[in-house]
Amino acid sequence: MSPQKYNFFLLMGLLITLQISFSSCEDEIRPELEEAPNIMSIDAWINNKPGQQVIKVQQTQPYFDNSFPTGLTGATVQVIDENQQVFDFVETEAGNYVWTPAGDETFGQIGLAYELNIEHEGITYSAVGRMNGVPPVDSISFEFEEADGPFPEGYFAEFWSKDLPGQGDTYWIKTFKNGQFLGKPEEINLAFDAGFSSGGNIDGLVFITPIRFGINPFEEDEDGDFLSPYSPGDSVFVELHSISNEAFYFLTEVQLQTDRPGGFAELFATPLSNVPTNITPSDENVNVVGFFNVSAVSGNGKKLEE
Amino acid sequence: MKNLLLLLAVFGCCQWGFSQEKVTISGYLTDAANGESLIGATVFIQETANGTVTNVYGFYSITLEPGTYNVEYRFLGYETIYKEIELLGNQRIDLELSEGGVELVEVVVTGEPEDLNVSGVQMSTQKLDIKTIQKLPAFLGEADVIKSIQTLPGVSTVGEGASGFNVRGGSVGQSLVLLDEAPVYNSSHLLGFFSVFNPDAVKDVQLIKGGIPSRYGGRIASILDVRMKEGNSKKFAAQGGIGTIFSRLAVEGPIVKDKASFIVAGRRSYADVFAKAFTDVLDDGAALNFWDLTLKTNYNINAKNRIFVSGYLGRDNFKFDAQQGFSWGSQTATVRWNHLFNDRLFANFTFFYSNYDYELAFGEDDLDKFTWNSTIKNLDFKPELTYFINPNNKLTFGGEILQYTFEPANAVAVSDGETQDISLNEKQALETSVFIGNDQKIGEKIDLQYGLRYSNFAYLGPGKYYEFAPAAEPGERRFPTEEFTAESGETIANYGTLEPRFSIKYQLDDQSSLKGSYNRTAQYIHLISNTTASNPLDVWTPSTNNIKPEIGDQVAVGYFRNFGADNDFETSAELYYRKTTGQIDYVDGADILINEFLEGDLLEGIGRAYGMELYIKKNTGKFNGYLSYTLARTELQVDGINEGEWYPTRFDQTHNFKLTMFYEPENRWSFSANFTYVSGTPTTFPTSRFAVQGYTIPLNFGNGRNNVRIPDFHRLDVAATLQGRKVKRNGQAKKNESYWVFSVYNLYGRRNPFSIYFSQVDERFAVNEPATTTANRVAIIGSAFPAISYNFKF
Repeated sequence: MSPQKYNFFLLMGLLITLQISFSSCEDEIRPELEEAPNIMSIDAWINNKPGQQVIKVQQTQPYFDNSFPTGLTGATVQVIDENQQVFDFVETEAGNYVWTPAGDETFGQIGLAYELNIEHEGITYSAVGRMNGVPPVDSISFEFEEADGPFPEGYFAEFWSKDLPGQGDTYWIKTFKNGQFLGKPEEINLAFDAGFSSGGNIDGLVFITPIRFGINPFEEDEDGDFLSPYSPGDSVFVELHSISNEAFYFLTEVQLQTDRPGGFAELFATPLSNVPTNITPSDENVNVVGFFNVSAVSGNGKKLEE
Repeated sequence: MKNLLLLLAVFGCCQWGFSQEKVTISGYLTDAANGESLIGATVFIQETANGTVTNVYGFYSITLEPGTYNVEYRFLGYETIYKEIELLGNQRIDLELSEGGVELVEVVVTGEPEDLNVSGVQMSTQKLDIKTIQKLPAFLGEADVIKSIQTLPGVSTVGEGASGFNVRGGSVGQSLVLLDEAPVYNSSHLLGFFSVFNPDAVKDVQLIKGGIPSRYGGRIASILDVRMKEGNSKKFAAQGGIGTIFSRLAVEGPIVKDKASFIVAGRRSYADVFAKAFTDVLDDGAALNFWDLTLKTNYNINAKNRIFVSGYLGRDNFKFDAQQGFSWGSQTATVRWNHLFNDRLFANFTFFYSNYDYELAFGEDDLDKFTWNSTIKNLDFKPELTYFINPNNKLTFGGEILQYTFEPANAVAVSDGETQDISLNEKQALETSVFIGNDQKIGEKIDLQYGLRYSNFAYLGPGKYYEFAPAAEPGERRFPTEEFTAESGETIANYGTLEPRFSIKYQLDDQSSLKGSYNRTAQYIHLISNTTASNPLDVWTPSTNNIKPEIGDQVAVGYFRNFGADNDFETSAELYYRKTTGQIDYVDGADILINEFLEGDLLEGIGRAYGMELYIKKNTGKFNGYLSYTLARTELQVDGINEGEWYPTRFDQTHNFKLTMFYEPENRWSFSANFTYVSGTPTTFPTSRFAVQGYTIPLNFGNGRNNVRIPDFHRLDVAATLQGRKVKRNGQAKKNESYWVFSVYNLYGRRNPFSIYFSQVDERFAVNEPATTTANRVAIIGSAFPAISYNFKF
């Protein structure tokens, strides 16, 4: 959660109340959009988790085109570390480029810098990143909470971990409920040191409450009432990814641009703008979107016993 | 200090201008019924065919050759007093005017003499009488000052529910809202649905969009000058009402008859009081309410001295429980001293304190919590003198010392028992200004108003300040390269601006005139807001070594024409053009809250706004009202946004049409209606989408800003007022007055779009499933809203 998100969260509570009293309304529409060429989009988030690492080289598509993105074939995809060790990513299906470890080797080494190089149709796309350290996820706890304001009664999970000492560590907390990634835009949970932002200046602490609680999904039932985030029998797994500061800003903007709850929240929406990219094409007239990041990952899980 | 000396010099100069051969009549005009001073009443000398109008304190002064004169004291809706005065020496004539009489017409938009719109030099200025504000159909029946001025030409808003207002292309933070001389930094309750002014305590509302006199400064777009009632000095009175949202009560009365009076007016929302009966959501200290309290008292010490003390307190509270939630509110306190140095030199000294703050608290217990508050505080001293030289010249001069304290964030995070203070540095600043202006008549046709204001802004220590590296690419975030520490009182940055002001009127004939004006205005504090509508958490920040002041230059010309024997119709057409520098925009993903390096997230650009405003008002008859039409364009150019090309602001509206009508048959009913039609505001649409880590991200190829328009907005509101019977069944006159107001907002229930947003649908997509993306059109108020209120007066 970005700081905006955090305050937004409070505003949202008020807006929910407004919604009950005034009822804004929404209609799904299909406005005509300007036509645009399809450009290269790169999804290169690699980490030191066991197993294969995948880099996707695809094309953008018209906004209302709800099909899979088209993969771009025939690219040469390499990641090179600062010791000149080369990791080759081999195309397994259209647009999917995969590095397969030998044995139980994992990708990369904490502290090293990496460069991504993608060659496609005579143009090189490159980006740099570093695998930063990550603290362990010490534990996860569940607690039964009474209903409180907009929160339903139910089981809430909380993860416990402490930001690494030294300012400027950035993390992405990815949560899996019963094995499924909580991947809605509103569920993006980010930390800058133990807090929300660089200006926040909270270093070396246990992650602050809203981040620790940011692993709870809030789903609504048919009547629009929130459901308990976890029920007995559910399991939760939390992955803590170290990310670059640029990746933190990138995901912050991804959330600003994709988490649009609508209704009264539109009063406080920021204008639509393009998220940044850290990928540079060799020809400056070529457009590219996407991001390259190298993470170290720690994790922990727990099951809520029945 | 230099300014103060200048001011003293000006004080000194004026003593020199007194001439002894002429004599002066001067005094105060008040309302006979309640002792309220009459603002803008006319004092007209038949023999010389000229006159003056009373100032905001009801004072007038005219200097003439000795002789016998027939003087008319006029105020629209009041009985005119004719007086033959034998003027041998200076005379003080205080008069009370009575409401009603032969000229009785319903006061519509103005309390000015009948043709001041044509004959006065001031242009681009609109007065809205509180009676008119109370008659307008309002959202949920709550009479609202801010919403009412949106019916005037040149005034727009981002949309329903948005706080504040936009004047001639200015952003919300570029209009100065004054309540009895003190600035109000957030004029909204419940985000933007209601405004903070209690109509029971408001006397006069004036909006100055152009030709801004030199006495005003500090914002580049407009001045909204709200004056509170002084309180009935004749007898005790109370009024109030029970509405859909608020219940209100105002009590006023004399402390010492005709010498001192007071008014206390309060409002509170009571949705939560009702809600408590039906739900337990509000137990455990949860709250949702907003209230305000307006107080004022005045004391006529003697014929030459009068003191006013006024204050405003208001707050919005929203709490999940006793520990968590947020609240915001303003407090202002003003002390004013009117002093007559002599019959021709009127002085007002204002001292005010103003504070806006908000507070957030979050967390379950003392081991894990987050508390944050932010404030902007002002202390101000403002002397202002008017020297009535002769009927052809009125000199106004004075100065202002305005001290600011900004506390952008006092924030403490406690995490698992460990406390970290993440507060930002307090910022200090001092804005000083001196001004002089003259209202001059040249012959019968030409009126001039010219003046000069010099303002200076010092951004002061103690505190840290930074230098930033240039952005890697235009429009990107800048990072600090060097940090400095300033001592207390040290000047970190200093800006000075000469602000010339000029207005001219040329009278074409009895009923028409041409006017023109030019003004430069400087604004040193900036409202930092990158959301569609301004919200209560937006922070004001001073000009610094990295943020320049905003400067606006505006020219306007207008043609003013009245029709009919009694100026039954007033019409005007104005053209304006404004150029601005120092306009603020934001890097993409700007972090504007609790960010020590906020300056690095701000972009600077220039602006231009131009347009035409038409206004037709029917003053007389049972059927009256007014029509506003504005054709306008408002654009910004910022390096790094829209590829450096001009783009329209979010509140740019090509056509803005409003029709307000009143029908007042001679029975207990009266009716009003308000129709609004405005062009769709601009927004940005994506062209494409792409996926990163499972998130479907919109892409706006070409990176244009605000390049599409949402559909047009139109809405009809109606209201009917039923006066209570004035006589009892037994034939005796009732002591109490009462009336019911029935209103429907958005009568035909149009779903007026506020915005169109794009998102992936709110579902969990399986790993091998592409996301579905949609567009949604949001209407903030998408249906008809009826309301009833009961109002009383005794």
